[in-house]
Amino acid sequence: MKVTQKDLLNIPKKALLKGHFACAGCGSTLAFRHAIGAISDKVILVVPASCASVYQGGGKGAAFNVPTINTAFAASDAVASGVRRAMKMKGLDDRKIVVWGGDGSGADIGIATEIGACDRQEDILHIIYSNNVYGNTGGQRSGDTMIGAKTATTPYGNTTPRKMVPFIMMANNARYVATASSGYLEDLVYKVKKAVSMTGFKLIQIDAPCPPNWRSDSADTVKIAQLAVKTGVWPLFEWDRETNIVEISRPSKKYEDMNNRVNLTEWTKLQGRLKTITEDQLKSLKDDTERQWNFIRKFM
Amino acid sequence: MVVKHNKKSMTGNDAASYAALFAKPKVVSAYPITPQTTIIEKLSQYVDEGKLDAEFIIVESEHSALAGCMGAAWSGVRTFTATSSQGLLYMAENVFWSGYGRLPIVMPVVNRCLAPGWSIYQDLQDSMAFRDAGWIQIYTKNNQEVFDTVLQAFRISEDKSIALPSMPCLDGFVISHTTAQVDLPSAEDSFNFVGEYSDPVIEVDTEKPWIFGGLVGPEKFIKDRTDLMEAMERAKKKIVDMNKELGEYFGRTYGNGLIEIYGDDVADLTIVSMGTIADEAQDAVDKLKEEGLSVNEMRVRTFRPFPEEDIVEFAKKNHKLLVIDRSVSFGHAGQLRIEIEAVLHRNKVDTSVEGRIMGLGGEDVPYTKIVAAAKEALRSRM
Repeated sequence: MKVTQKDLLNIPKKALLKGHFACAGCGSTLAFRHAIGAISDKVILVVPASCASVYQGGGKGAAFNVPTINTAFAASDAVASGVRRAMKMKGLDDRKIVVWGGDGSGADIGIATEIGACDRQEDILHIIYSNNVYGNTGGQRSGDTMIGAKTATTPYGNTTPRKMVPFIMMANNARYVATASSGYLEDLVYKVKKAVSMTGFKLIQIDAPCPPNWRSDSADTVKIAQLAVKTGVWPLFEWDRETNIVEISRPSKKYEDMNNRVNLTEWTKLQGRLKTITEDQLKSLKDDTERQWNFIRKFM
Repeated sequence: MVVKHNKKSMTGNDAASYAALFAKPKVVSAYPITPQTTIIEKLSQYVDEGKLDAEFIIVESEHSALAGCMGAAWSGVRTFTATSSQGLLYMAENVFWSGYGRLPIVMPVVNRCLAPGWSIYQDLQDSMAFRDAGWIQIYTKNNQEVFDTVLQAFRISEDKSIALPSMPCLDGFVISHTTAQVDLPSAEDSFNFVGEYSDPVIEVDTEKPWIFGGLVGPEKFIKDRTDLMEAMERAKKKIVDMNKELGEYFGRTYGNGLIEIYGDDVADLTIVSMGTIADEAQDAVDKLKEEGLSVNEMRVRTFRPFPEEDIVEFAKKNHKLLVIDRSVSFGHAGQLRIEIEAVLHRNKVDTSVEGRIMGLGGEDVPYTKIVAAAKEALRSRM
């Protein structure tokens, strides 16, 4: 089920219309346009408090062209569960119930709800677009913030490793877990389509550069996302419960070998949030990156 | 024509479960907390035994219990949950979200006090904290009324012109775990009373790409809240209608549905309260009358919407109100008293009001205590 560039244009209908409220160069809307666009005929979105509750726009000019339920910050996976169960009772099993939210809800405040839905094997897909911060509250540290990154609440750089939600969901018996990137849309769409074809709880975590909070040039979004993969800091992989095997995704394959990786500073230097990263922090970030690789290698 | 009933002994919680079973919700999403637990245990049993064709979501918290119901309500199916005390507090933001979001959810609250200190017994502090959440609140006095009110709640909430969630409230243990006789109509008759939820107030689907709860400016926001206020007003009439219909169908009524008067129309003293204290107060009225004292009683059944007109009309004829609250708004007074004083003042009624806080933390409130309070109030009259 390979997805090509041509497939990206071949969608049931546009998921994102003109007039959304996202910032220039938003990695999340780029991912949204393609990920949700690919399944736009059958999707019902559940959106927790997030940038997406803002960039969807409002009133008659709303930009989301798919049915969307906005929920409280920590409520989305439980609301999605209710929608799924109701659809089941109505005989509408073909509807794809998708939670689209950031890492604030996905990694922090909503994680109990998320694990709860995973534990119950709810037939939903949770997509976390991770901009590594609380985006629309002005960029505070989240559980998914990179080591060394300056945020509004870590003005001298974040010191602790990321909370790896994909691993948490693997441990909690999700049906399918994958990471993806706004820089590799074919890979993202492939994973979204694959996930919704499966029954059970699925999680996809997308690296979504955020120019205002990352202090990056809005023109560099795709470049930064691709460099995150090429430096190894954002490994792209998928894991299937049935096989219990992690498969490194094609764009990431080459970079499993540390010798092939682009120097991490190529990635950090494009982002103001990481410009002041200290040597120690850089080392910690590298260690944390390796910790992630070592974790997924156990399933390869 | 009044339908046939079977006399059955059951707890108040069982009465709530029976009503929910007979109303046939499609999704039940629930989390255990004492003293609500046996309601949802029964329902899970009904689902597992195939008596209730519904999805039962065994969630990991109350926050998710209500969220699950919200997802179901947005999808246009009948939905039910129940909670108590800390559980109600834990679901707080979703309580407001579903009220302001106009989701027709029915959620009995088995009233229990709030910690600290730890106590599982009854007072009304929990549901009173949610009087501003846009939910219909009906306080019941006994097991029979729990059954009837849960059935009515579906009708009220699912009325398109109302579209508000309902909170039938029942005192923990005194009702929830106490066995009493309930005249139980058949499942079929009960369902006929409630009816199919065929014309949902809200329904998400792929054919209609609506956005629910998205960004709004102040103009739309105020319009929505104004409509909520008006829906509450419309709910008053609906509750009165439901009460009449209950009478025609089941042969029982509760006052006019909003308030219930016991004793003479005019008396020297009127005891005003809610829930089981109001039931006990009836015995107090009888006792006081035996002693030659002039006392009647007004039970406020519906607290939201607040039955201003009915309360004022009755209070106007009477001389003094003794309002017994089983909860407190700290820094002010009992909530029922505050609201009654407000409507009397607004309507320029000078009937005097005295307030008493009783029964906090599960303190037993037998009629003797109410009699004593009433006598004191009579002495301090004028």
